Amino acid sequence: MTLVAHAGHWLTTIAYFLPVVVFLAWLVVTQVKERRRDR
Amino acid sequence: MILIAHGLVGRSDLPIPEWLFGWAAAMVLVVSFVALAVLWPEPRLERDDWRPFKAAFWRALASRPVEILCGAIGVFLLVVVVYAGLRGTPSTTANFAPTFIYVIFWLALVPFSVVFGDVFRAFNPWRAIGRGVGWTAARLSRSGLPAPLAYPERLGHWPAAAGVFLFAVMELVASNGDKPETLAIAVLAYSAITFVAMALYGVETWVERGEAFSVYFNLFSRLSPFESRGGVIGRRRVLSGLAQLKPVNGTVLLLAVMIGSVTFDGAAEAPIWTGRASDLITFWQDVGLDPQRAFELTQLIGLSLGVLLVYGFYRLGVMGAKSVGGGFTTEQLARAFVHSLVPIALAYVAAHYFTLLLFQGQSIAFLASDPLGDGSDLFGTADSQIDYTLVGATATWYWQVGFVVAGHVTALILAHDRALALYEDAKLAVRSQYWMLAVMVGFTSLALFLLSQANA
Repeated sequence: MTLVAHAGHWLTTIAYFLPVVVFLAWLVVTQVKERRRDR
Repeated sequence: MILIAHGLVGRSDLPIPEWLFGWAAAMVLVVSFVALAVLWPEPRLERDDWRPFKAAFWRALASRPVEILCGAIGVFLLVVVVYAGLRGTPSTTANFAPTFIYVIFWLALVPFSVVFGDVFRAFNPWRAIGRGVGWTAARLSRSGLPAPLAYPERLGHWPAAAGVFLFAVMELVASNGDKPETLAIAVLAYSAITFVAMALYGVETWVERGEAFSVYFNLFSRLSPFESRGGVIGRRRVLSGLAQLKPVNGTVLLLAVMIGSVTFDGAAEAPIWTGRASDLITFWQDVGLDPQRAFELTQLIGLSLGVLLVYGFYRLGVMGAKSVGGGFTTEQLARAFVHSLVPIALAYVAAHYFTLLLFQGQSIAFLASDPLGDGSDLFGTADSQIDYTLVGATATWYWQVGFVVAGHVTALILAHDRALALYEDAKLAVRSQYWMLAVMVGFTSLALFLLSQANA
């Protein structure tokens, strides 16, 4: 209940750090793919 | 004092939500990264291209009389700060010492260093006294002075990192850290430690390695195109001063302290920390600490977490860069790219303390006229007021975003140039920089998040 009521706060916080999360995820996936290809 | 500077009203007329500025900043970094990969194929900043100025003006500026005059001004200001702290009014806002130390010395010297080079070195009162005493003692001594001890290499920048951390403790942790008397005693204690260290290891060695403020301002001065070498002022390619930085033990930690302390200062005003801090203060009081100690311990934990967060995130980026190959150790890469953290530290300081410097900095006009707060009017400016209309909340936000983006793009340039020099394979160099880009995007998001919270 409280979680939903305060969604405006934590959603904004997530929005700030979304670019970092997306970029890191892309980076890890790319690196794993490249390693598999190298093998 | 800090409350006033940060007590800006909300920004109601921004065209887009604040978090979208974070996304836009991240996009700017990605585009800059691609542009660097395409348009910057060779390292350009590694070569030391310092050239001395020949004109008489520059020779006069670096002459011995000017050097002595600058040192004397530094010593005079040190004496004024200590005297005002010990003999002046205990009021934080009416005494010269707190504003001079926290705003003029700590903040205003940063842009001066970035533009004009290492100005603090010229005005450094401890260096001036140390050199003066050494010069006098050498003339009075018949057998000559003993050579200073060799500076232990393992110490590196650790004393400077400890000094900057303790300054942050005074500023952000100690309940009475803004009291004039406390500050004066702290200045005296720091001076005593500095003189002992200078006597042991030599004035210049301690200034270059251990004296916290010299090392701190010198790092920022490396962004300047001006540098003085052996009493000669010259110019160098912009940013090449940072590429010439020789990292030693503790340099990474020092930068983490510089960025982490500002991070905590921003978070300390935000709900993300204040909510948790009150629980922690209650916990410490439950285990027997008095309210003041409970608050200070909580703040100390927060400050340490801020430093660890920055240090950990940088190490994570470096470990990622190591994973792409090239045969470098984590420590080698951490040192190789640490200079790129300097513009980030500058961006954090500029964005976070922009309004504090702009508004509270004006109070030095009336404090200089009445340094003890006893009603005197030495320069006829004792009645001057702070003009809070210089910049509005929305304009402040744009300036802050500008500082953050410019600082991180500069950091990308430095890291990219170093990667080209470090890796033999250009492909590896670019791949390693994906991780540094992640670090930059992370620091950008954190900075804008904290700024939005602090001014919410």
